[in-house]
Amino acid sequence: MSVKEIPQNWEPKILVFACNWCTYAGADLAGLSRLQYPPNIRILRVPCSGRVNPQFVIRAFQRGVDGVLVAGCHPGDCHYVTGNYFTRRRYLLMQRLLQYVGIDPERFQARWISGSEGPKFQQVVNQITEEIRAMGPNRKLRDAQ
Amino acid sequence: MSEITKKIQEIAREILEKGEAEIVIGWEKGTFWYLSPPAFIDKPEDTQRLVWDEFCHNNLSKYLLDYKNHEGKVAIFVKGCDSRAFNRLLQDKQVDREKVVLIGIPCTGLKDQDKAKSLGPNGDIPKAQKCMECKYPTPLVYDYLIGGEEALNEVAATKEAPDFSDVKAVEEMTPDERYDFWTKQYDRCLRCYACRNVCPACSCRECIFDQTRIGWIGKANNSSENQFFALTRAMHVAGRCVECGECERACPMDIPIMLLNKKLIKDINELFGKYDAGIDPEGKLPLGHFDKNDPEEFM
Repeated sequence: MSVKEIPQNWEPKILVFACNWCTYAGADLAGLSRLQYPPNIRILRVPCSGRVNPQFVIRAFQRGVDGVLVAGCHPGDCHYVTGNYFTRRRYLLMQRLLQYVGIDPERFQARWISGSEGPKFQQVVNQITEEIRAMGPNRKLRDAQ
Repeated sequence: MSEITKKIQEIAREILEKGEAEIVIGWEKGTFWYLSPPAFIDKPEDTQRLVWDEFCHNNLSKYLLDYKNHEGKVAIFVKGCDSRAFNRLLQDKQVDREKVVLIGIPCTGLKDQDKAKSLGPNGDIPKAQKCMECKYPTPLVYDYLIGGEEALNEVAATKEAPDFSDVKAVEEMTPDERYDFWTKQYDRCLRCYACRNVCPACSCRECIFDQTRIGWIGKANNSSENQFFALTRAMHVAGRCVECGECERACPMDIPIMLLNKKLIKDINELFGKYDAGIDPEGKLPLGHFDKNDPEEFM
């Protein structure tokens, strides 16, 4: 599907960067517990939320994603001890920068979801999907030429 | 010839004659009266080319990167912002302090080149934007100081703290207005990378924007790729920008690049505590370390 046009039967497309040690396990638990969440998310497993380069986020918007969620272990629980503390600093800034250039705050979010928080994963995904569905397709930063 | 010009010529001559440095980097008069480009002097008799006036904008610290593998010493003149840039490079271990002779110039603020061009030599030329908000007009690090220690007291900071009024003006727009504003700005971008080339915070040997492999950066010059460039560059210099305003000066399309950088400076100060880049060469970068008590918004 080309990013050039937005289809009639548009559905939100949300990219989730999930840390291998916490959020991915949390998503797994949500699945094992038969917790239902919308199929609008695409999970991309990363070794640590600190692996998520700000460029990945911008590139996702360019390629037609409507929302991005970066999720990792709670501060203090990082498998690599301090990775998510760096993530926190980086994305506190990045979030403000994206808002500053006109991206709506709902489009880019970050959350801490641990391996035991299957229900939280479900709830976060539900919430983001609903928010983005209400906002409609993202046209900003889209590489539509 | 101004007093300071005379002094910088003297000191440059002395340094070259004594062999303290092999090259002195200063400013000379350019093609137009409102331009003072850098001059690279290696003979004592050439030192008379050097000048100091209100248009010596070029940040000379950046040129030290060209002499990274040079065996001898290099002497450069530094204004307040140049000295911050020097500290910045020192912090990244890009230059060797032992191999550089710094000659500090207490700076009373430079004049806007673009306005000078339109107003003419007899016009009332305003100060450059960066100089109006300058917090460190005197060099922070130097071996020699033009005018001696007393000159430092004469130059007082023009403002205690920049008020970020221009950043706030953009923040007050609606998201769509902001997006239109930045799209309009960056649609002009030629992707000449002049902003990166003059930036003292940009010292990577291999820059992402020079990558030719697929997946790193799109080479197309369109709205989306230009903004990818703008945002990526802003994030790369976050916490490193010394507010020398060189990116804006070098930009052939007059894109307000500092408006992005200042936003990041403002946020870093608000979120992670007061931080000015290029003050302490031993200090840690705001994005290079963390504090367990950083604000928490991702719960």
